[in-house]
Amino acid sequence: MKKNLAAGVLIAALLMLNSCSADKAVDSTANVSGDKKSSGSVFAMDTYMTITAYGNNGKKGIEAAQKEITRLEKLWSVTDENSEIYAINHSSGAEVPVSAETEELLKFAIDMHGKTNGALDITLYPVLRAWGFTTGEYRVPDDGEISELLERKGADKITVDNGKVSVPEKTEIDLGAIAKGCAGDAAARALKEQGVTSALLDLGGNIQTIGDAKPDGTKWKVGIRDPFGDGSIGTLTVGECAVITSGGYERFFEQDGVIYKHILDPETGRPAESGLASVTIIGSEGRMCDALSTSLYVMGLDDACAYWRDNGDFDMILVTDDGGVYVTDGIAERFASNSEDVTVVER
Amino acid sequence: MRARTVYIVITAVILIGAAVWCAYVMKPKSGKTVVISQDGKVLYHIDLDSEKDKTIDVEYDGRKNIIEIKGGRIHMKSADCPDHICIDTGWLEDGKPIVCLPNRLVIEYEDGDIDGTAR
Amino acid sequence: MDTKKLTHLGLLTCLALIIFIVELRIPDIVPIPGVKLGLANIVTVYCVYNYRPGETAMMLYSRILLGALFSGNLMALWYSIAGGTLCFIGMEILKNFIREDNMWFLSIAGAVCHNIGQIAVAMLVLKSTSVIAYLPFLMISGCIAGLFTGLCTQMVCKRLKRTRKVS
Repeated sequence: MKKNLAAGVLIAALLMLNSCSADKAVDSTANVSGDKKSSGSVFAMDTYMTITAYGNNGKKGIEAAQKEITRLEKLWSVTDENSEIYAINHSSGAEVPVSAETEELLKFAIDMHGKTNGALDITLYPVLRAWGFTTGEYRVPDDGEISELLERKGADKITVDNGKVSVPEKTEIDLGAIAKGCAGDAAARALKEQGVTSALLDLGGNIQTIGDAKPDGTKWKVGIRDPFGDGSIGTLTVGECAVITSGGYERFFEQDGVIYKHILDPETGRPAESGLASVTIIGSEGRMCDALSTSLYVMGLDDACAYWRDNGDFDMILVTDDGGVYVTDGIAERFASNSEDVTVVER
Repeated sequence: MRARTVYIVITAVILIGAAVWCAYVMKPKSGKTVVISQDGKVLYHIDLDSEKDKTIDVEYDGRKNIIEIKGGRIHMKSADCPDHICIDTGWLEDGKPIVCLPNRLVIEYEDGDIDGTAR
Repeated sequence: MDTKKLTHLGLLTCLALIIFIVELRIPDIVPIPGVKLGLANIVTVYCVYNYRPGETAMMLYSRILLGALFSGNLMALWYSIAGGTLCFIGMEILKNFIREDNMWFLSIAGAVCHNIGQIAVAMLVLKSTSVIAYLPFLMISGCIAGLFTGLCTQMVCKRLKRTRKVS
């Protein structure tokens, strides 16, 4: 008897849910070949983020994902005075209690700092600020200033312990290189929790997909931006994954005929001159791809390939300054290049 | 007399088949990515939605084609070929590619649109 | 081959060439490469029924070659040869089954073969299969043009027979 009642309630609830979502979906969803497609945009972490979701739960999922992204931005912003990162940076060396997400991300960043031999360093904020990349008031700091600021860096100086974080005075954390990737992971989780099985997130150029295919059965097609022009260097056909590109073209300035790009080499404190124009990482985890796209850009072609051979749980597409394209063999077949000059990197 | 009926039916079938095929080809494409290729090689992938108005010069064997992108549309602006069919084709609208046979140039929509661009 | 036949073929080639060059003066109606009436086909269809295949081929290729030379459009030569050959082969095979009073259908079949040949060459030249999108348009225009030229040929044949009887 009880069982029957429970089943009845469940069916009724399901019916109601159904009718609710059907009513709601009318406003801004397009019906594409029987599959609803919804999309929403949010401005966060200094960039436009667009989420496209398929299916009846799309709208709900997008709302949840947007909420999650704004929540994380409030935790990780360097400039927001209420953020946890701001609190850590301005605590004069004292311990600051942080949320579980922040603790996990910082641990990940410290781990990656070690793995990449320091090529990924989230404590370069003071140097970045000296160059003006944080504000847009660009200038070229002199060697003395840079070496002085470089003494403050070092992700290994961050202590994370039991929900509490501290950095030495004057050392400052900036999660710019990994926050977007991590937010993408969180947004993808939020979408999945709402029952979305097919969606594409474009977080300011970081592409993350949910589901191995679109509802029409076709795989996701992701273009890779040409670092030397407006077009793309090719298209990648992928299932569920993250595709994240870093390149000097994203932000740079010119002074006295020299171009200064925004990705700094933690070693020198100056824009990385590694011979690479852009690095695209394809992997399952957004934060990992985000971290690697920056750090492998700093390392350069040879070290990046060596790192891939040692750690290979991802794939990559490298574009060198002279226009050469290097693709790892795991995705070589799924990458349709526009360029003639493609080299497949083998293990 | 009977043979004639058969021939009329065959002709009608060819015509209807071709008409259906035409309708399929002329279906407006949802995609906005255009591929410009010459001699079988892809020269450009262009996302018409995000591309600024501009012209692209393509040379072949000393002859020149000028392709124009304007307001999210693309067409052949001028061509050094004798027939100028590519210019008469007008704006690229459906599955019919813009073709310049003498200069081996093809402008067409890409199969299946790109979902996003990593940048 | 006797002199009479040779003269006839020469005259037919000449006639086809004149029709071909006159047709060039008609501006393109549809901006689709390859769409045209193909009036010179009247002569080809006539030859298919009245001469041996080898003789028809002589007439056809002389006309194509000279036509390309006279019009100065040598690039179109390859399309004409491919289309013409396919059209010729198709018609020579089909003429064994199609009687003279259904000539219009032979002409249609030839025109469609011609279109397939043109597109095949275009695909080879462009190294791209996308031009196949033009085939259905060419096929429709081929059916109409083929019907027209076929009926023309039928009329010509009828009248020729009548004049022969008279003379």
